[in-house]
Amino acid sequence: MKSYVKIALFVVFLIALGGILAALYLYNLKPEDLQKAKPHFTITAADFQKAFEDNEKTASKKYINKIIEISGEIASVKTGEKNSLNVSLKTGSELSSVICTFHSVSDTTNIKPGNQIILRGVCSGFLMDVLLNNCAVIKISK
Amino acid sequence: MKRIILLLAVSCLLFTANAQKYMTKNGFVGFFGHTPMEDIKADNNQVASVLDVSTGEMVFQVLIKSFHFDRALMEEHFNENYMESDKIPKSTFKGKITNLSSVDFKKNGTYEVIVEGDLTLHDVTNKITAKGNLEVLSGGINANSKFNIVPEDYKINIPGIVREKIAKSLEVTVTMKYAPLPSK
Repeated sequence: MKSYVKIALFVVFLIALGGILAALYLYNLKPEDLQKAKPHFTITAADFQKAFEDNEKTASKKYINKIIEISGEIASVKTGEKNSLNVSLKTGSELSSVICTFHSVSDTTNIKPGNQIILRGVCSGFLMDVLLNNCAVIKISK
Repeated sequence: MKRIILLLAVSCLLFTANAQKYMTKNGFVGFFGHTPMEDIKADNNQVASVLDVSTGEMVFQVLIKSFHFDRALMEEHFNENYMESDKIPKSTFKGKITNLSSVDFKKNGTYEVIVEGDLTLHDVTNKITAKGNLEVLSGGINANSKFNIVPEDYKINIPGIVREKIAKSLEVTVTMKYAPLPSK
């Protein structure tokens, strides 16, 4: 075999291998770890909820799919299916809060009503409450 | 006269106690589809639902973007290609327990129920019937159900190349922990 054919075959092989590796990498990509991600917005729970209450359309456009770093007081904590945890934050409204869902939390000792929390989550929208998903704790204090 | 007012007041109280509604904002809806290639699985822990025990009416609301997948790419395809969640952010179910008389909400226990109603998904509404369980507890009601839906019934277009990869029918799991809604 001539050497340039060998080189050509080798290049084709490398491209194919690269393609397979890239596809596998993309396929296995996990949801982003928000502990390390840079937030698009930093806001308090009260202001965040108010933005949706005042004008859902504008707020949806601005915040949905964005990483939000939110701070507030924990109103209630509920454990859900498959190790998930829902933390609702106090807002200016009695009926509507910000519900933050964690899919795995290693340390829940300080996640208690009354404590102050800073967390990051991806905004999925507004039902009765503003919903944040894929959340990660940034800071928590009593 | 006093007696009539008292009677009215008491019956009002009784009425509100009977017409109690139960609610959750932290309900779970998940779906699962198995194919030879891979399993498709997503969880949503942000389901809002109301159960009216006096009429048997049940309402569920979910945001499509609240479904969480283990694989980021799958979640992206689900939102962008299949559910078009930017355009159609919500899905709802409005239905009724058809055998309400067989549930005694005053007695703790597990009761089998059949729920019939309209499921709106991807802007398409279909009648569905699902079997489930209601567990009456002191201070709350748990509800569980499993049923199947076919994406094609909801005009969820799955391109030919991946059609074989995606299950024809998906199993939906519903788990609610209702708490009484304070009546005003």
